[in-house]
Amino acid sequence: MNKEYPGLIDFSPGFLLQPVLEKLQVKIGAIKSAISSACCLVIFSLVAGGLFPPTAFAATYTVVTDLLGRSVKVPADPRRVIALAPNITEIIFALKQEHRLKGVTQFSDYPVEARKLPKVGSYVQLDLERIVALKPDLCIAIKDGNPRSVVERLESMGIAVYALDPRNLNSVMETILAIGRLMQAENTARDLVQTMQARVARVQTNVSKAAGRPGVFFQIGISPIVSVGTPTFIHELIEKAGGRNLAAGDTPYPRFSREQVLGLSPDVIIITSMARTDIFERVKEEWSRWPNMPAVQNRKIFITDSNLFDRPSPRLVDALELLAGLIHPDLIRENQSP
Amino acid sequence: MKPPLVLKRLMTVSIVMLLLLLAAMLLGLSAGSTGSSLTAVVQTIWGKNDIDPTLAAIIWRIRLPRVLLAALVGATLSVGGLVFQALLRNPLAEPYILGISGGSAIGAIIGILLGVSPFPGVSLFAFIGSMATLLLILMMVSGQTILKRESLLLSGVMVNAFCAAVIMFLVSLTQDSRLHNIIFWLMGDFSMVDARQVAILAATLLPGMILIFWFAHPMNLLLAGKEPAQSMGVHVKAVTVTLLVATSFMVSATVSHSGLLGFVGLVMPHLLRLLLGPDHRVLVPACILGGSTYMVLCDLLARILPEQGEMPAGVITAMIGAPLFIFLMKTSKR
Repeated sequence: MNKEYPGLIDFSPGFLLQPVLEKLQVKIGAIKSAISSACCLVIFSLVAGGLFPPTAFAATYTVVTDLLGRSVKVPADPRRVIALAPNITEIIFALKQEHRLKGVTQFSDYPVEARKLPKVGSYVQLDLERIVALKPDLCIAIKDGNPRSVVERLESMGIAVYALDPRNLNSVMETILAIGRLMQAENTARDLVQTMQARVARVQTNVSKAAGRPGVFFQIGISPIVSVGTPTFIHELIEKAGGRNLAAGDTPYPRFSREQVLGLSPDVIIITSMARTDIFERVKEEWSRWPNMPAVQNRKIFITDSNLFDRPSPRLVDALELLAGLIHPDLIRENQSP
Repeated sequence: MKPPLVLKRLMTVSIVMLLLLLAAMLLGLSAGSTGSSLTAVVQTIWGKNDIDPTLAAIIWRIRLPRVLLAALVGATLSVGGLVFQALLRNPLAEPYILGISGGSAIGAIIGILLGVSPFPGVSLFAFIGSMATLLLILMMVSGQTILKRESLLLSGVMVNAFCAAVIMFLVSLTQDSRLHNIIFWLMGDFSMVDARQVAILAATLLPGMILIFWFAHPMNLLLAGKEPAQSMGVHVKAVTVTLLVATSFMVSATVSHSGLLGFVGLVMPHLLRLLLGPDHRVLVPACILGGSTYMVLCDLLARILPEQGEMPAGVITAMIGAPLFIFLMKTSKR
């Protein structure tokens, strides 16, 4: 260092020399005490973490494998569950286990009773502090959405996290069965899944009578225009409802220009109402300016509730029935249950 | 340069600012999304509250890491701004303006998109990014003297514009839930850090801060100009390069943890220079402590202002920093 910066020895150490050494000693003392107090903090927090969760002594635990294949130690009879995504809330309500539910995420608005439960942030931006403050004995997380870092933090604090990964209708049903097992509601879960399967089968029998498969453009974003590719629930629903997804392809949420959409000449356009409805009315009007488009000629531009389509919950079957009714109104109308 | 006088000032300033920092940290520990009274917090901090282990867990394992992270990031960014302003003799210089932060962000985003581990993976990518931008800036101004401030600053501005474009490009390529994470992280998010990461970050930053403090006097001399400094025995090029590399390293380490936080490196050094004068031997520790305090308070505001959830601290630093900076510019011109 002295060779490298010959000029420095004249100045910096000159300033640092005598008095600073004393000061440094003071500083070292301060650092020492800071380190020791930091150690105390760490030890204390470890002790506090050890006491956590407080119900640990009373409850019995079982080790299960969650839907990501991780083995998780969960309470046999969870009493304080937090659902880290709206669809998990919907499933727990559908299984009539809402008495176990102590916290939900920001957009958990279905069923209406779920709105009254404490919120722990949105599912992509979870509020760790609120989760911990609710003293959960089990958190149920979703792979696509909940940040992995939150799950790891929760587990490091001794909170069991059971993770789900619903990818299609079948895995939604598996998810429902898994949550049923967690909450001692296996029979309810099995009944629910059987009903869902029966309804899916009925829709498929109905639409199989159709002469053709109309081309469906499913629009989930306005600016830019975004649709849904093959690796999505909505694609599966469109296909099962007897339609042809015009945006099929490997990209989950492909973007389109207006030109490209016109080039696809969709028979049906379905717009989901993620934002305010009036915006979507305007989008509908905009498409109506192209009278050559089959969807405009047949008056088949629809606005639907996005929550029905983008949540892997039991309501996906409602979405399927709705979709089938929009694509094949003649085949579905008489059979559709309200 | 009579050491005792400087030392006295240094001690006074350090103690006052340390007290301010401790007060800010206490506030930071006591506020959060779950309401709890200040007395309960103080009791828990003193270890006198054994009744509520949940509050203890929240304070020690959720709030403390983020308060410490905010302090580290604020310290690094303001001392980084101070170093750049001294080296370039330009009040506008700052890691963010020069593109160093932007380069780190590109590296970090590439790391996130490749799915590497947050540490050391993303941090390493961020460091590579910041080094690449620094190298790019130095290459563009080579042939001229490094200290020619207009060219360095201008090339920094251009690098920054380019980085911003690359960031937007990478973000527009991303279509899944990572997008939300990236955007939040870009705006400066402290919420997801744990104690281990903070400890590693502190260990990384401390040598850099000591190095900058060691070079405080050469920085004073550099303020007088390159030739005067050289005639006083400062090895200008070596000092410049060492400080640039060290500062870039420190900035990239913080960026990979907390995204882009603008204006901290501008506001704190200016404010402290107005209050304490231009002596870097006092300014370096003052910036470290003052920057920490400022960032802890900004993070506090970011946590308590929104009713639902929280906003990124970068929003607050920019909203406070930009107007304050314009005000400082106007008053200092008179």
